[in-house]
This record gives sequence, C-alpha cells and structure tokens, in this order.
Amino acid sequence: MWLVFQKEIKELLRDRKTLFFMVALPLLLFPLIFGGVAYFSGKAIEKAQSRVLTYAIIGGEYAPTLTTKITESEGLKRYVTKVQSDNVSAITNLVKSEKVDFVLVIPNTFNDDILKIGQNKLTLYLNDAGLNMVQRRLNKIIDNLAESNRDKAFISLGIAEEIQQGLLEPIVIDKISTADKREDLGEKIGGLIPYMIFILCLQGAMLPATDIGAGEKERGTLETLLISPISRNQLVLGKFFTIAFAGVTSAMVTVGSLFVWGVLLSQGMAIELITEFMGAISALDFVLMFAMLIPVVAIFSAVLLSMSIYAKSFKEAQGYMTPLVFIVIIPIILAMLPGIKLEGIYAWVPLMNVALAIKELIKGTMDYMALIPIFLSTTAIAGLLLTFCIYWFNREKVLFR
Amino acid sequence: MIEIKQLAKKFKVENPKKLSEQEKKDPRLKGRFFHSVQNVNFICDTGQVLGLLGPNGAGKTTTLRMLSSALKPDSGSILIDGVDVLANPIVARQKIGFLSGSTGLYGRLSGRENIEYFGKLHGMSKSAIQQKIEELAQLLDLYSFLDRRCENYSTGMKQRVSIARAVVHSPKVVVLDEPTTGLDIMATQTVLEFIRTLKKQQIPVIFSTHHLDEVNELCDTVTVIDEGETKYNGDLHSFRALSNGSLHNSFMTSIEKG
Repeated sequence: MWLVFQKEIKELLRDRKTLFFMVALPLLLFPLIFGGVAYFSGKAIEKAQSRVLTYAIIGGEYAPTLTTKITESEGLKRYVTKVQSDNVSAITNLVKSEKVDFVLVIPNTFNDDILKIGQNKLTLYLNDAGLNMVQRRLNKIIDNLAESNRDKAFISLGIAEEIQQGLLEPIVIDKISTADKREDLGEKIGGLIPYMIFILCLQGAMLPATDIGAGEKERGTLETLLISPISRNQLVLGKFFTIAFAGVTSAMVTVGSLFVWGVLLSQGMAIELITEFMGAISALDFVLMFAMLIPVVAIFSAVLLSMSIYAKSFKEAQGYMTPLVFIVIIPIILAMLPGIKLEGIYAWVPLMNVALAIKELIKGTMDYMALIPIFLSTTAIAGLLLTFCIYWFNREKVLFR
Repeated sequence: MIEIKQLAKKFKVENPKKLSEQEKKDPRLKGRFFHSVQNVNFICDTGQVLGLLGPNGAGKTTTLRMLSSALKPDSGSILIDGVDVLANPIVARQKIGFLSGSTGLYGRLSGRENIEYFGKLHGMSKSAIQQKIEELAQLLDLYSFLDRRCENYSTGMKQRVSIARAVVHSPKVVVLDEPTTGLDIMATQTVLEFIRTLKKQQIPVIFSTHHLDEVNELCDTVTVIDEGETKYNGDLHSFRALSNGSLHNSFMTSIEKG
C-alpha cells in the first residue's frame, strides 16, 4: 500500500500543473486578492470623497444661511439653473444628463427657526446607484446648521442641557455583551473557516484524484497495475491516502497562506485582534478541529476515487466531480447562516454537523461530548464509502468500461 | 505450460440501444447478456510461441485478460504450470508477464522508475531490481533514455520500456495482446526480437495479432478464435496445410470450417 502511495506522491510532486494549483496558486492568490481589493476599494472611496461635485440648488433664496454654507464648502461647484421646484422631470433630467451630480430642492416654507415651522423637509435628487458620497458630504454641512438651529431653539425655550439630552434621546440602552471577543468573532467568521477548508480540501483532492483513477485508464497503465500481485484493497488504500494527503496539504497550504498574508497585510490593529483571537483558541480545540476534518477528507477522497475510476477519461471524471462541489457546498452554506446551531436535526446532517462543530470549536462554546457522535457518524460514513470504493474497484464493469 | 479449457465469459448489456448494428446481429447476444467468450481451449508448451488469431471482436482480448487474471471467467479453467489462476490469482500474477499494444507508462516517472515500481509491486528486493534492470537495459538497449521522463519518449522507446517492465519479475509465461498494433516498423522489430529471446529462454509466449507474417516468422502453434469459440488449434505446419495458398487463406478456411 505504501508502495503505491509513495509512487503516486512522487508522480504528483512532478506534475507542475497540479502543484501549481495546489501550492503556488493559494500562496500567490491571497495576497493578490487581499491587496487588490484593499487597493482598489481604497482608491474608489478616496476618489468619491475628493471628487468635485457639481450641484444645483432650487429655492436657495428661502434658506440663505444654508445656501451660503454649501457655496462656501470645498469640493462643490454650483450649476445655475432656472428650473422650478415643481418641475420634477426637468430636475431629474439635470441629473440624468450628468450636468449635475445632485439637485437640492428647498421649499419656500424653509425657516431657520424650528419653533415657528417645525421640521424642514429638503429634497435631494441624485443617482444613488453605485458608490457615491453625495449624501454623506451634504449631511456634514446640513447637520452643522441643523444642530445650531436646534440649539437656538432650546435656548429660547430655556431648557437645561441635561434635559436637552433627554428630549433628544429619552431612553438610552447601554449594551454589555457577556460573549467574549472570541465567541463574538467566532460567530461572525467561524462559519467561513469550515466552508473554506472543506472546499479547499475538495478542490485540492480533485486534480490528483482525476489523475490517479481516470488518468491511469486513459494512459493505459491501469490494466498492468491490476494484474500486478498487489491486492485491490492495498491498491485502493494507496490511492485513497494519496488523494486524502493531497487534499489536506492543499487546504493547509491555503489556510496557512491566508493566515500569514492576512496578518502581514492587515498589520497594526488587526494583528492584535487576530493574535488575540487565535491565542484564545486552545491547542486542544485545534487538534479537535483537525480530528473532525479527517473523516470529512476521507469521505471526499473515497467519493472522488470512486468517480475517477468509473470515468473513462479525464474529461468524464471532471464532469462527474463538478456537481460534487455544489452538493458539498449546500450543507456548509446552510451551516454558515446565522442562527443555525448544532441542535436537533442539523446535528445529524453529514458535513453540516462537522462544519457547525468546527464553528462551535472556534467560538469556544463546543460541548465536547457532542463531538463524539458527530465524529463517529462521519467516520462511519467515510468507512462505508471507502468500502464501496474497494467494492467498486473489484467490479469488472467499472474497470473495463 | 499454459492450459486453457472451456473458458467462457459473458458481459451484462447495460443499454441494448447503444449496441452497434454489428453487435445486435451477433449470435453471442442472448437477452441481457453478451457472451463474449463461449468456449476457448488451447495449450501452450514450454518454449513454444502460440499465435492467437481472430477477427476484431472475436474475444481475443477478453481471453487474454482472463488469462492475466484481470477478468474473472464465468466458467472453465486456466492452469499455468499447474497453478489454477482462478483459485490463486495473486500467485498466478507473479508467473505472468503481460503487455498490450495500448499499454502506457507513467509519464512523469523515468523509465527506470517505471520498471522499479513494478519490480517493487512484485515484491522484489532493491538489488534484484537493479540487477534485472541492468540485464534488460542491455538486452533492449535502454541505456540512452532510461533515466529520462517517459512523457518525452518515442513510441519505440515506450514499447521497449514497457517490455522491460512486463518481464522485470522474470515471469514463467509471457502474454502479449496485439503487442505490435500501432507501432512503427522499428518498434515492431524490437517486440519480435524480444519474443525470439523469450523463446530461446524456453519461456512460453502467447500473443494475439492481426499480422500473419509475424505468425509465420515466430509461432509454433496457432489458435484461431471466432465469435468466442476456438475454431482451430494446431501447429503452424498443419495450419499452413489447411489451404495450399497463403496463411490468409488458411485463416479464412479455419473460420469457415469451424
């Protein structure tokens, strides 16, 4: 068995294409994704913030203070128009034709004295699809005026400062979470980690699995291998372990690279957060997470090997394997949904229960006893699938299709 | 010595609609089963070369696959030096060297590693493998490319390494399934030379082929199979005597007679 394993690994290591997808890609991909997303989103936000916005004010004469404030603020350029406030289509056209970025309509009832008019309602026309900072930038100016108007009203009413606070916010809730940082962060990203690891394991195992099964058929080496004096069980196990090993290695490389690059690129504060978060997870929890993954990888490997050996060619094998990814994704995505816990029926859905258990382990809220039935049931499924795989390898119909 | 008696093998037809017109007309199709091999018998003695002839789809490959224990026959018996292949497939596999025209090599391993791998699978010691590779490299002239990756080999190089790999464990019997099909003249010559060497070493060889000149050149005995049944068994001399013309005519006669 180890003979087969050794040879398959040797061959795998010499396959540049597979190695590239298993090792190089995750190593390089993550910094690219992280860096790229951070760079471009930062650029876009910066651009939206510093871009000079063209605007039009209709009814500016009713609110001279506000109009002056807007005119005086930086990064805004006025466009003079004669359109009236009741001509909505003309206003819309101004924005649509990109003559202006926004139009602010001030009603003729506008008054700085709140006590006389109550609430003032302005209308803002803009194209709100896509990233723009119009409202945020406008709010900065308007809030300023609104606050000073409000303060004036409070003063003229003669209301004390503490009462002012009470009037604005009669009841304030002070929230103190009993969940520590680990549980909080674990709930937020804990679902993502099993998802990533599962998919990576599956992806990493797929290429070698195709090569080891369908590839042998396609290259005409299978027949010779079958008539060499090695029992089918040994042959299957050798190939099975190769696939499992490749899957785990690929997942570990990717997760490791994600972690290292994540720490490197997010620097400063995030480092503290991540190290604190990782530090809170005990070694036992890490070992348990890894242990839970073993039967999962075994399930993947057995299924992939069975598919691969059934297929007549690489192409056919890939055809069988692609839907597998979708099937695997469903229970894991369900496990990622907020509010789904390791309880009731979910504890018995294969893969989903493991994903949930890993999430709980990350959060630090796992009931260790509950791991036993999950581990045992998943191992039993893996065992069944491996038995099937061996049976499958003994079928002439499968080998000589 | 190899002895095959009343060998039979049927395959289940999964989807009768997918069968070709020719297959549908074949009398071997009975209900849900296609009786690929129905009654094949032959004997190959020590030091003899047996040529297995028959039209495409006659059951030659199935027969040889059963002989090499890749397929399990439904009935009949196969004895290699008195060992029942069906009862002891693993033991029998150690006695057989098998090679077919479509055999491939592991492209990312060197020729030497390919041969070593199968030597190890046969439970040979490292030194024994080294020694055997030396011997075969000399015999088949492998030195110039033995340590290069197989994916860059020419057809002839591949076939020579395949031969070495098939006999690394010093088999008692060598089975060749259309070993020259698809090869160029040079590579074919290598295979034929190799069969001659085996013959000199008194190792029985069974090979299937469509080339009657190869039969004429090498074989001691001839077996003709058609529609899964042995139609002719006999030495080359009497096979030639079946008709006074060429071996082609003898072949046609043997099929029509049967």
